[in-house]
Formats: sequence, structure tokens, C-alpha cells
Amino acid sequence: MDPILLVLATLDGIAYAALVFLVAVGLTLIFGVMRILNVAHGGFYAIGAYAAASLVLSVSGADLNPWLTFPALLVAAGAVGAVLGLVIERGLLRHIYAKEEVLQLLVTFAAFMILEDVQRLVWGVQPYAATDPVRLLGTVEVMGIPYNAYQIILLPAIALLVLVGLRWFLRHTLSGKVITAVTEDRETAITVGIDARRVFTITFVIGAVLASLGGALASPTTAIQLGLGAEMIVLSFAVVATAGLGQVEGAALAALLIGLGRSFAVYLVPELDVLIPYMIMVLVLLVRPQGLFAVAEKRRI
Amino acid sequence: MLALERVNVRIGAMHVLRNVTLEVRPGATAALVGRNGAGKTTTLRTVMGLAARSSGTITFAGTDLDAVPPHRRPALGIGYAPEDRRLFSAFSVEENILLPDRVARTRNADAARKLERVYETVPELKELRRRPAGSVSGGQGKMVALGRALMIGTRLVLLDEPFQGLAPALARRYGDALRRLRERERELSLVITESNPALLAGLADTTFVIERGEVVPAETAPDHVG
Ligand SMILES: Nc1ncnc2c1ncn2[C@@H]1O[C@H](COP(=O)(O)OP(=O)(O)OP(=O)(O)O)[C@@H](O)[C@H]1O
Ligand SMILES: [Mg+2]
Repeated sequence: MDPILLVLATLDGIAYAALVFLVAVGLTLIFGVMRILNVAHGGFYAIGAYAAASLVLSVSGADLNPWLTFPALLVAAGAVGAVLGLVIERGLLRHIYAKEEVLQLLVTFAAFMILEDVQRLVWGVQPYAATDPVRLLGTVEVMGIPYNAYQIILLPAIALLVLVGLRWFLRHTLSGKVITAVTEDRETAITVGIDARRVFTITFVIGAVLASLGGALASPTTAIQLGLGAEMIVLSFAVVATAGLGQVEGAALAALLIGLGRSFAVYLVPELDVLIPYMIMVLVLLVRPQGLFAVAEKRRI
Repeated sequence: MLALERVNVRIGAMHVLRNVTLEVRPGATAALVGRNGAGKTTTLRTVMGLAARSSGTITFAGTDLDAVPPHRRPALGIGYAPEDRRLFSAFSVEENILLPDRVARTRNADAARKLERVYETVPELKELRRRPAGSVSGGQGKMVALGRALMIGTRLVLLDEPFQGLAPALARRYGDALRRLRERERELSLVITESNPALLAGLADTTFVIERGEVVPAETAPDHVG
């Protein structure tokens, strides 16, 4: 393989993995605590992207400092994640925690479809592009090849920050410990006084904010259009399943594995690029059904 | 202190508890004995709110527990050590023991004082305290679960088959811990389940025998079931 292509594929893969990680880690966190596979996560990602693009475009259009587009990305992500997360958890999921898993899955799928309609209603069918943040950061040269600093420095840096921050939060803060406890054993958590329902809400909102952060950060690098959320949710399912459900650190490694796999496929076997992530997932699950990093489910009484 | 009156629990099609009625006075130690599958664990889980009642009432210190959601019951002073330990392996032994007080936002000084008291009752825990909870043996884990239950259970402690699976030496030390507890906390009520009542000899002052989900008169029970 041409060394330049090798470098490009690696850089693409890392940038892509950073975005996928942000979405997948929220998905896996929510699954760990609530045991619900939240399909609506794809909607949080897409609406995060749309809202960020709108906000960035209005900052760019107004006579403002263009660097304000960066806080605009974060504000859009935070607002979308917090509002949608709260509405979906309180309004919808709260009522079905005692129901069967299939029903829960269907309800989150319905929520995903509703969020798709919201996108159509609010943003229409034309694609959006809001590339100012990428332009502002310019390019860096990696082995003689110019590459967007936004994608190769900012995105991985933020993903790494989220990973380290999340680990620290889960291990060293009371809220984090409580989330960890509910993830490991919900019933016992209740018998030591933990309000599992409240932990559900907190976790769901954190996950939703991470997903919409992924969308917001992706928005300057792609055309934002319908279908964005569907692609991302399927891909993050692959990452989460490969890592093992509920694995935070594992999700980072699996995102990297799948991101690199996909970008190498783009250069080497372009006809397979869409399939590669799922082929990786299937291969891993055939050998280790619980995923790369999960220990087998503990016995429950 | 704790009273169950005509409590019925159905799990799926099974009628697991049938009109269970029992009362535990303040400061009393009640044994709940019965064979495997008799309904001992379900009785304790029902008190904690983990198994849903289809009828009957449970009152604790005059409060109808119906009005208290499961996660608020520990705050009433009800501690529970499940039969299979259920420690949080992500935390150290001491973090496990302190978690209930962290969650309840007990002042640090008060939590430390309570912890010291628990260490006096169960001295084995002091040596284990920095160990990851996932790394202690099954028997040690039972001690840790006891310590955690004692941190919560200032008025009532429920222990589910505490001696089950303990090596003889450890079982003796566990029994010693319970006797120390009995001497120090005169007002505390204890409910201990066992399939082998001989293990509770000299500890229990009331014995309830449960058979196929029903509490039967103790006199008719054989002195060794299971
Ligand atoms: N979650 C459940 N699902 C189905 N059946 C259950 C469940 N929990 C308890 N049972 C049934 O209810 C009955 C009583 O169970 P329980 O665990 O309370 O008995 P136990 O006296 O604690 O027994 P052991 O000595 O084995 O611990 C058993 O027949 C058990 O199979
Ligand atoms: Mg039992």
C-alpha cells in the first residue's frame, strides 16, 4: 500500500473513531445502567448536528467573531442533549421500565422515528453545511500531507478528554459511583439507598448530551441531511457490541478498531467500506459473544 | 419493630409466600428457618421492597412500608445482607461498606464513627478494607456484606443465610461477630434466615419455621430441616 494512502487512511480512521466513540460511549453507558438499547440515540446525534449547524451558520452570518462558532457547537450539543434526553426519559421510557425488553426496544425505535420527523419538519430535506470551524483551524502537515487540524487534532483530543473525564467521573465522584453501582447490580444499589430511577435520568441525559456532542462536532465536517442518525446508530451499535455492552473503555478501543477498519476499506476495498464495521463485529462476536472487553454476565438470583 | 401480616407474594404463576404473618420485637433476634425454596429469601426481599406483594401489610416501627419506596427503606435503618453477598466489585471493601452513608450524605465524621463501630464488631473487615471487593473470598465477602448491612441497619438487620458456604473457622468468627453485635446493640432487631437452625442455637430468641411459603408453628418443626 502506498505510504501516503496508509497515513491518510489512519488519519481518517482516527477522526472517524473519535466521533463514533462519543456516540457509542453514551449508548453503552445507558445500556449498562438501564439495560435498554436506546435506538433514539441516533436521533440525538442527528439533531445535535442540525442544531449545531444552524447555530454555527447564524454566528457566521451575523457580524460576530468567527471563533464563537466553537462555543456554538458546544452550546447546541448541550441544549439538544439535555432537552431531548429529559423529554424522552421522563416522557416515554419512565413508563416502560417494568416492561419486556422487546417493547423497550420498540419504544426507543419509535422515538427515533419521531425524531426523524422532527428533523424533516424543522430543517426540511435540503442538506446543510457549516464548515467555518474546520476552516478556522486550518491544516497541519502529517508526513508531508496536509490534513484538517479540526479532524486530526481537535476531534481526537475531545474524544480523549471525554474518555478520561468519564472515567474520572465514574470512579471519583458520588454521582459516578452511584452510576457504577447501578450498572453492576441495580437491586443491591436500591438496598443501599440508591434511587435507581434518578440514576436512570442522570445517565440518560449524560448519554444524550454525548450523542448530540458527537453530532455537533461532526457537523462542520459533513453535509448534514436526513439519514445521518440512522447510519450513526447502526455503526455505534456495532462498536458497542464489539466492545461488550456496558464497556466504557472498551468502546474507545472498539471505535478505533472499527474506525480504522472502515477507513482502510475506503482506500483498499471501497466496495466493502460500508460492510467492514459489521464484518468486524460479526467476527468478534463469533469468537467472543460477550464482546471483546466484557466479562461473562454474572449469575443473578 | 417489624410485623408482616398475611403477606402473599406471587412470582409468575407461583404462589411463593402464603399469608406469612410474623412479628419481630425491638431488640429481638428472630430466626426464619426452612428448607431450600421455602421462601426465606423472598420474605426478606419483600421487606426490602424487591419482591412485590399481592396482598398483606408490612409495618416497620409503626410505618406502613407500602408508603416507603424501596430505596428509602435503608434510611429507616433497615440493613440487608443478601445470601449471595452482592458486593460492588468496582469498589474497595471499605467503599462498599461506606457507600450507603455516602448515598445518604451522612456527615463524614458521623460515617467514620459508625464505621469504627462496625470494625469493632467485625474486626476482620479492618484488614480487608483496602482490598478490591472483587478479590475477597466468598466467606470474606459475607463478612463485608454484614458490615455494609450494619452501617445501614441501625434498627433492623436482615441476614440471609449468613453461614451458608462459610468454612468452619470463618463461620465461627461470623458467629462471634453476631454475638458481639447482640451485646453492643441491645435495641437492634435481627432477622436471620437459615436452613440449619442448629447454627443459630443460642443466638435466636424467636424461631419462625417456613414451609412451602407458609409460616408453620415452630413446635411441629423438626429441629433439623434442610
Ligand atoms: N424470581 C423468581 N422467579 C421464579 N421463582 C422464584 C423467584 N424467586 C423465588 N422463586 C421461587 O420461590 C420459592 C421460594 O424461593 P426463595 O428463594 O424465597 O426460597 P429460600 O427459602 O430462600 O430458598 P434457599 O434456601 O434455596 O435460599 C422457590 O420455589 C423459588 O423457586
Ligand atoms: Mg434463599
